[in-house]
Amino acid sequence: MITRLLSALGAVGVARVLLMPDVDGIAHRVRRAVDLRPPPGQTWPEVAFLDMPIECVPDDTVNATGRMVAAGVGVIVVLGGDGTNRLVASASGSTPILPLSTGTNNVFPQVREATIAGLAAGLVATGQVPPGETQVRSKVLQVEVNGAYRGPALVDAAIASDRWIGSRAVWRPESLQQLFVTFAEADAIGLSSIAGLLRPVSRQAAHGLRVDLLPPETAMTTLMAPIAPGLIAPVGISHVEEIHPGKAQKVNISRGVIALDGEREIEFGPTDRVVIRLSTDGPVTIDIDWVMAQAARGGLLTSRRSPDSCQE
Amino acid sequence: MELSKAELLRVYWIMKAIREFEDRVHVEFATGDIPGFVHLYAGEEAIAAGVCIHLRDIDKIASTHRGHGHCIAKGCDIEGMMAEIYGKKAGLCGGKGGSMHIADLAKGMMGANGIVGGGPPLVCGAGLAAKQLNNGGVAVAFVGDGGSNQGTTFESLNLASVWNLPCVFVVENNGYAEATASKYSVACDDVSDRASGFNMPGVTIDGHDFFAVEEAAREAVRRAREGGGPTLIECKVNRYYGHFEGDAQTYRGPNEVEKIRESRDCIDNFVKRVTAAGMIERKELENIEREVGALIERSVEKAKEASKPEAADLLTDVYVSY
Repeated sequence: MITRLLSALGAVGVARVLLMPDVDGIAHRVRRAVDLRPPPGQTWPEVAFLDMPIECVPDDTVNATGRMVAAGVGVIVVLGGDGTNRLVASASGSTPILPLSTGTNNVFPQVREATIAGLAAGLVATGQVPPGETQVRSKVLQVEVNGAYRGPALVDAAIASDRWIGSRAVWRPESLQQLFVTFAEADAIGLSSIAGLLRPVSRQAAHGLRVDLLPPETAMTTLMAPIAPGLIAPVGISHVEEIHPGKAQKVNISRGVIALDGEREIEFGPTDRVVIRLSTDGPVTIDIDWVMAQAARGGLLTSRRSPDSCQE
Repeated sequence: MELSKAELLRVYWIMKAIREFEDRVHVEFATGDIPGFVHLYAGEEAIAAGVCIHLRDIDKIASTHRGHGHCIAKGCDIEGMMAEIYGKKAGLCGGKGGSMHIADLAKGMMGANGIVGGGPPLVCGAGLAAKQLNNGGVAVAFVGDGGSNQGTTFESLNLASVWNLPCVFVVENNGYAEATASKYSVACDDVSDRASGFNMPGVTIDGHDFFAVEEAAREAVRRAREGGGPTLIECKVNRYYGHFEGDAQTYRGPNEVEKIRESRDCIDNFVKRVTAAGMIERKELENIEREVGALIERSVEKAKEASKPEAADLLTDVYVSY
């Protein structure tokens, strides 16, 4: 995936790429590919690695994002899932990101071919496609506990009655109490599918959705929702309501956990005040389709020889 | 079902007993009074406690070189364990096993194991027995990241899946197989990625977080007990001491252990969580700390005073009859 990105970035004139180091061998394989030189006829950008410690913790991603922003990069290409994008979004500021899904259980990053994504990223980073027109501010859910900001959710924030964060993933539908979503697609996998199958909300819409849940055996309305790969479970629906930017949403239980984008992250108790707000101040994301349409319209990847040069 | 207060107090007792036991063995081993090798479990307590809190007397576990924590969590007698490590006749195995072969079949603890990856095949046998007897028993193998690379482990994962055995395989990935970093020696990001190749569920969790281990183990044990087959759980964790006592640990980064102790210690984490949640009072934990401290002190005193096996004991306990 990275070598395809490098080929595409080089093809549209990107001179330098910064990569986050890692301990899982990805950086090592990129270094080896760079040493072996690009395939014939291709020019790769100069590849440099961020000089940073790796602790194998989520903050590594936040740290790397901050360093890339400080270095003045034009675009951050994010390889990962909803969780990785959430971490990047917490530090990317106004630098545009291009999320590429590397798994099957993601909603925010789309599954796109890396060569095309690399062309789009390169066209924006080099200014060939004006940044203002290509970028979309994503919606985000901002979570506060006792007035302190505890992080964003890019797709969904769920309130569950579990006492402990436990093994993080949300997989017991009976513990779900409330669901807040920034957008909801009917063909999504994960918790946002609950909202998506009830009342779809586009990424571009100005609002989000709140769904109050009940045990299926007590609910008047029950939905079969694909809440995880291979797991289609009945969830009871109590109430569905649009939520709008800036308005504080309260949770309906006094003790439980908050799951951000499908992973339990925050424990709260009766003395904690939890507030969730929809915001339009999320990460700036690049619309690949729009950028490539602009490239076609402007002939950005087209070169023409003069008639004279074609004559023998 | 979430754990009750009584169960959480039991968990604290187990984790604290393991830590105190291992810290004391670390000190006593340096005196030269303890024969053989010891491999200490300090730092990994949440795993043994999180898994074994869901096990019954009928369930079996198989351990690794680093087996003291598993013994304590499965309910082995601590005075008998200490005597065993000292090589004394009052030990769990009559002083003949020592640290690396400590076992107590009456408690379902099939033994620490001198062979890397030696536990999983034993657990397949125990799982098959439970299945044949239809007694609802579950068998759990603990292996390290080094053990996870052994052929015995792969064969056991395959066999457990093919025979749908009530087994759970817990990989304690503490980052190093002796001195070799798992990031170098394990060919995938997460050991649990291998589970799908054996057609079983696999999950990677934070081995410093008791509640993460407990929840993953609860589901795996339930599935095994109900006939749903085996599960692979990888717990990413760190050990506080060397591979063995005396290991100079030149392969570890500066202050690596200190940073983990300060920020990710499983016992500190547990105390913060249960007290913040209002489930347990600090003084209740202090009572346990006093009880455990006295128990470890008494165990060492008794072990030192106990007699060694005699020549006449040499050929006893060698064979078993069926």
